[in-house]
Amino acid sequence: MGVLRLVLRMSPVLALLAIWYIATSLGMIKPFLLPAPQTVAMRLWRDIATGQFALNAGLTMYRALMGFAIACLIGVPAGMLIASDRTVRWFCEPLISVGFPMPKIAFLPVFMLWFGVYDLSKIVMVSFAAIFTVVAAAEAGTRGVDRVLLWSARSMGASRAAVFWDVILPAAMPQFLTGIQIALPVSLITAVAAEMLMGGAGLGGAMLAAGNYADSPGVFAGIVETSLVGLLAVGGMTQLRRRLLRWHPEFNPR
Amino acid sequence: MNDGVGIEIERVTHGYTPKRGRPMVALDDISLSIPAHEFHALLGPSGCGKSTLLFLIGGFQKIQQGRIHTAHGDVCAPGPDRGIVFQNFALFPWKTVIENVRYGLEKKGIKGSEAEQTAKHFIDLVHLNGFERSYPAQLSGGMQQRAAIARTLAIDPDILLMDEPFGALDAQTRRIMQEELLAIWRATRKTVVFVTHDVAEAVYLADTISVMSARPGRIKRLVHASFNRSEDTAVFKSPEFTDMVEHVWDMVRDEVDEARRQGH
Ligand SMILES: Nc1ncnc2c1ncn2[C@@H]1O[C@H](COP(=O)(O)OP(=O)(O)OP(=O)(O)O)[C@@H](O)[C@H]1O
Ligand SMILES: [Mg+2]
Repeated sequence: MGVLRLVLRMSPVLALLAIWYIATSLGMIKPFLLPAPQTVAMRLWRDIATGQFALNAGLTMYRALMGFAIACLIGVPAGMLIASDRTVRWFCEPLISVGFPMPKIAFLPVFMLWFGVYDLSKIVMVSFAAIFTVVAAAEAGTRGVDRVLLWSARSMGASRAAVFWDVILPAAMPQFLTGIQIALPVSLITAVAAEMLMGGAGLGGAMLAAGNYADSPGVFAGIVETSLVGLLAVGGMTQLRRRLLRWHPEFNPR
Repeated sequence: MNDGVGIEIERVTHGYTPKRGRPMVALDDISLSIPAHEFHALLGPSGCGKSTLLFLIGGFQKIQQGRIHTAHGDVCAPGPDRGIVFQNFALFPWKTVIENVRYGLEKKGIKGSEAEQTAKHFIDLVHLNGFERSYPAQLSGGMQQRAAIARTLAIDPDILLMDEPFGALDAQTRRIMQEELLAIWRATRKTVVFVTHDVAEAVYLADTISVMSARPGRIKRLVHASFNRSEDTAVFKSPEFTDMVEHVWDMVRDEVDEARRQGH
């Protein structure tokens, strides 16, 4: 039943694959522009069998998740601080308004200059790209906490510090998670983009190399590999949300 | 502790300045002396400042003008000596019913099986047994309200502030909870400030009723219970009871009309 439902749910993807297969097998498109799906699948299989996929995906994940973790560890407390302190808010708000819509990847050359051409500059790049949504969500979440919840904790004898852990953190958790859930794919995208601009190992670097050698099955296999990694990460995040927000009306429909 | 003092409210005036719009006076020069152990009802039309007055006694909002003190001294911050049941329950939605009730106990240093037993006792008292492990989102409004009452009773405060605590309950449950509350009050001799819209409820429960005026909130009249409030539920049918309800209704009616004119 579960398998059947999954297949049904994935039928649009299967349909796209079918169109792709038909178009290429009828010779309507040059294989160089769009290689046949079975060619891409074979390349994917070869990458997996040789360990190339594990190596590249692992490296990209490492960079993306490190940068993501740093963005969360700095971004959540920063957002909470901005929400609770007027002076900090006054100072940070214009910076965030300017930074938010900026194309962060434009800073890559700067980070290469400062942090070298290896992992560090890529990780900093990812953190920088991901941190804005985390901060904004953490701020909105903290500010949105119902004052009556804070009051009830205080009237039951909680100190100000305790209120922070006991009330603000869990009450704002849905918003924190929403920000983090958006930041995770942003981290992956940025890691791949940075790799594509800088070259070397990793999913992005492999795709750049394949492109340079006019190896179109390699490019398409890279796209599939990147989406698999993204799917896995986002799926894990959704599970985490379900687990952490068991209490939330979102998962208790009435 | 000074035994005679319940809550002393001296010339308290309180206003709100909304982000947009003109400043308004919610409470205008309120003075009220509530003796210890009294069951005191605040009765008044919607928007007259009943919740605001409770918030000030609770220490949640800074007192702008005037002074409030209790047996513990001047009110300046919230504390477990004044328990409150909020109008909109204010349960922690990420905690189950029993975890909500245990929270205040744990803050008092009561832990482990003792906390578990006390929490269980108060959950039984509000007839929520069987729902200990439910999250608030899984309960009806009336059940959430009863959980909030259990949570506040469990910390055993000297002063009990209740903001329309039975508002979300059906008629039967409401009657049962009123009786339970009176029984608890008789047994523990807490000072109770009980906000309600319901005249009969106020007359049934309270020693003294403050009838408040429409905006700006003032204490219009104090009414003392004029009949023998026995534990007998037949009071509802007694002529003294119905007379007093009529009497209080007449006072409230003018204010409700006035509030309507103001557009509430
Ligand atoms: N945070 C606030 N900002 C601005 N105005 C407020 C605020 N809180 C209350 N008021 C105003 O103060 C007045 C009194 O509010 P309050 O909530 O104390 O009334 P109430 O008597 O409890 O009403 P109800 O019976 O409907 O609960 C209302 O007119 C309301 O509009
Ligand atoms: Mg109110």
